[in-house]
Amino acid sequence: MVDTVVVGQRVPRVDALDKVTGRAKYTADLKLPGMLYGAFLRSPHAHARIKRIDTSKAEALPGVKAVLTQAKLAGRVAKIVDEAHGTAMDFKAFADTKVTYQGEKIAAVAAVSREIAEEAVRLIEVEYELLPAVVDPREAVRPGAPIIHEGLKPCPGPDGTPLVNVLRVVDRVEGDVEDAFARSDYIFEDTYVIPRAHQSYIEPQVAIAEVDPAGRVTCWTSTQGIFSVRNNLARTLDIPPHKINVIGMTIGGGFGAKFGGVVDTYAVMLAQATGRPVKIVYTREEEFLDGRPAPGLVITIKTGVRKDGKILARKAIAFWDVGVQGGGAGATQRVRGVYDIPNIEFHGYDVATNKPPTGAYRAPGGPQATFASEAQLNKIAHALGLDPVEFRLMNMREGPEVDFKKTLRAVADAAGWWSRTKGPNEGWGVAIGEWTNGSAASSAVCSLQEDGSLKIFSGLMDITGTDTAMAQIAAEVTGVSYDRVSVVRGDTNSVPMAPGSGGSMITFSMGNAVKRAAEEVRQRILEVASDMLEARPEDLDLRDNRVTVRGAPDRAVTLAEVAQQAAKTTGGPIAGKGSFAREPSATTIAAQIVKVEVEPDSGKVWVRRVVGSLDCGRAINPMAVEGQMEGGAAQGIGWGLWEQMVYAPDGRILNPGFLDYHIPTALDLPDIESVLVEVPT
Amino acid sequence: MKTPITLRINGQDYEIVVEGRTRLLDAIRDLCDLTGTKEGCATGDCGACTVLMDGQPIASCLTFAMAAQGKELTTIEGLARDGRLHPLQEEFMRHGGLQCGICTPGMILSAKALLDANPRPTREEVRFALAGNLCRCTGYQKIVEAVLAASERLSTG
Repeated sequence: MVDTVVVGQRVPRVDALDKVTGRAKYTADLKLPGMLYGAFLRSPHAHARIKRIDTSKAEALPGVKAVLTQAKLAGRVAKIVDEAHGTAMDFKAFADTKVTYQGEKIAAVAAVSREIAEEAVRLIEVEYELLPAVVDPREAVRPGAPIIHEGLKPCPGPDGTPLVNVLRVVDRVEGDVEDAFARSDYIFEDTYVIPRAHQSYIEPQVAIAEVDPAGRVTCWTSTQGIFSVRNNLARTLDIPPHKINVIGMTIGGGFGAKFGGVVDTYAVMLAQATGRPVKIVYTREEEFLDGRPAPGLVITIKTGVRKDGKILARKAIAFWDVGVQGGGAGATQRVRGVYDIPNIEFHGYDVATNKPPTGAYRAPGGPQATFASEAQLNKIAHALGLDPVEFRLMNMREGPEVDFKKTLRAVADAAGWWSRTKGPNEGWGVAIGEWTNGSAASSAVCSLQEDGSLKIFSGLMDITGTDTAMAQIAAEVTGVSYDRVSVVRGDTNSVPMAPGSGGSMITFSMGNAVKRAAEEVRQRILEVASDMLEARPEDLDLRDNRVTVRGAPDRAVTLAEVAQQAAKTTGGPIAGKGSFAREPSATTIAAQIVKVEVEPDSGKVWVRRVVGSLDCGRAINPMAVEGQMEGGAAQGIGWGLWEQMVYAPDGRILNPGFLDYHIPTALDLPDIESVLVEVPT
Repeated sequence: MKTPITLRINGQDYEIVVEGRTRLLDAIRDLCDLTGTKEGCATGDCGACTVLMDGQPIASCLTFAMAAQGKELTTIEGLARDGRLHPLQEEFMRHGGLQCGICTPGMILSAKALLDANPRPTREEVRFALAGNLCRCTGYQKIVEAVLAASERLSTG
C-alpha cells in the first residue's frame, strides 16, 4: 500500500464544526423576502376516478396567491420524468382524471403562510368515483385485477400465461437450469416476501424556488444531486438548463430518495405562477404518502445443489411491488450474488400496484433480492449439514480483481465464528452483499490561494463525509495540510459537472477528478518552486505546507510564497482542473455476522452482536467508512426485523409516521463492530 | 389572538408575539431566528427538535411557546461558551458522531441533559438517554462513543 500522510487518517469531517454548533444551513432554515408557503391537496383514495375538481373557494381565501391543478398546466407540463434513479418515472404533475395511489397530488396551493395554504387545501372540492385497488403484486399481475395504467398491454409470464399491470420485464437465461436441476442431489424452492421500506431520512423533502422576471429559476433544495435536479426541472418545465440555478443546501439524509421531482418541481411551478419565492416542506406523513420508498418484493428462488454443497443452478421469479411507477426488476440479478453458479435463470417483473412510486434506497433492489438469496443459502447449508461460511467459501467466484473470500474470512475471524457458542434461544447468522462503485462524469477545480491554503470547488453533495475525503485526497497530493484545505460546495451556475451522491459514486469518481485537479496544482507548485529554489522539480519534496529540496531541508519555501510568486509569473495563479469519465471499478463485498436472541414468549428478536467487514479498496478516512458500515448495518437490522410500510386492502397506508413505522433507536441496537478489508483494486 | 411573550433562550431574552397555537419550535426557529433546532416529524417521535427547558430535554414541536415563558431554554446555539465548544461538541466531531447532521443538535442536547444529571453514565444509560433521538445515518455507534468520551473528560476535569 502506498505510504500516505493524510489519506487513511481518521480526521474529523470538514463540516463537523458547523453541524455540532447548529450553524449548518439546511433548506428549511432559509427565509426569503416575500416568501410564500406551498401545500398539496392529496387523494384520500388509492384508486378512483376524478369526476370534478373545484378550486374556487380555495382561490377566494385571503392570502392565497395560486392554486395549481393539471388543468391549469395544460400544454405546459406534460409529465415529470425522474431518471436519476435509473428508474424512469413518467407521470403527470397532478392527477386529473384518475388517482392511482393514496397521497397522489391533485392540487398545489401557495399562500402567505403555511396555515393559510393548508386551509385552502381543505377548501378544494373533489368528487371521486371509487375503483377497486390492488396492493399485492401477486394479485396485481393476475388477469382480472384492477388495471392501474390504462393502455398498458399484458405481457407473457414465466409459464406463458399473460400478466397484467407489468411495467417492465427483465429476463436472463444462462446455461440450462432444468437440466442442472435434474442433475442436482437436492432442490430447494422458497418464496420470500420483503416489504416496502422508507428511507426515513430525518430531514423531510424540502425546496424553495424563485423565478425572476426573465424566467430564470433559482432553486434551493435538499438533494443528492444538484445537476440531477437542474436537468429534471429543465426537462419537465421546458426551461433551458442555463436558466436554472440549483443550490444544494446541507442535506439531512437522502439514502437514494433525494434526486428531485418530489417537491422542487412544484415549488418552481408555484413561483412561476405567483412571481414570488415559494417554500415547500414535506410533513413526515407526506413522506410516507408520497415519498420515493424502496419497492417491496415477492420472490421465489429455486436452487439445485450437489451433495457436497456445490450450487449447480438457480432460478428466480421476482414480482417487484413498485407502486404506480419505479423499478426493481434489474436487481433480480442479485440472486447470483458473488457465487459461481453455472446455470442461472431469472425473470423480474416491475408490477404496478396502487401505492406511491418507488425509488432508490441504498443499493437499489439489492437488499431485497440479496436478503432472499442469502436467507435461502443459510437454509441450504443447514439442511446439508454444512457450515454457512464454508458453504459460501466453497461456492464463491474468484478472479484477478476480487478477493471475496478474504472479506468473508475477516468477518468470521473477527466475530469468533469458528469457536462460537450460544445460549438458550440464541442463534448466529451470516450474509453477504455485493456492490460495484458507481462511476460517472465528474469534474473539480483546485485553487492554491495566496496564503498557501487550497480550495476545492465542486458540485458534489456531501452526506457521508465525501467533502472530507476530497480534502484528504487534495491535501495528500499537494502537500497543503488538511486544516488548510476547504471544500467549496458550488451551485449549478458556479461549478463544473458533478454526478449525484448515490450508488457509491463520489469517493471513486469525484475522488479521481479531485486527485487529477490536485496533481495539476502540484505540478505548477513544483515548477514555480523549482525556479525559486534553483533545484530540479524531481528533487523537491512537498509536505506540511512547504516545498523543500530533498537532502537540504534548510532550502525551502512555503506554499504561500510559491502561490504569491506564481501570481507574478506568466503562468499566473496556481489552479488545476480534473475530470473523470466512466471507468470500471471492481466488485466488492460486505459480509456480516450477527448473534441474535429470540424472546420465546413474544417472538421478538434482539440482535446481541453484529460484526461487519467491507472490502473498501483504500479507506480514505476509516472513521467515515465505519460510519457507512454502522449506518448500513442499523438500517439492515431495521428493515430485517421491523420496518415495513403496511397497507390496508383498499390501498391506505396504516403507519405513516415514526410512531408506527419504527426505525431503530439507540436502545434497539447493540454495538456495531466493523472490520475494514483493504483489497487494492 | 396574538400575545406578546418573553422567552429566555441561552441566557438572552427574546420578546416575541405568538398565538396560542404557536409551537415552541416555530417560536425558536421563525421568531427568534435560532435555526439550529430542527423539525423532523412534528409528532414528538424523532427528537430533532429537542431543546432543554430548565435543563430537561423536551420536544419543542409538542410544546406551546406560551408554556415556555419563565423557563430557562437552551438550544444548540447556547452550548458553546465564550467561543469554546462544549466537550460534547468536540467529542462528536472527534469521534465522527454525526453524518448528515440533522439529528445532531437534538442528540447533543439530550446527551448534555444526561451528563448534567449523571456525569458517569454506563453505555446502556447513554443508549437509554438517547433513545428519543432518531439518527438514520450512524447506527448510533460513534454517537455513544462520543458521549462516553465527553463524560470521561468532564468528570476528570
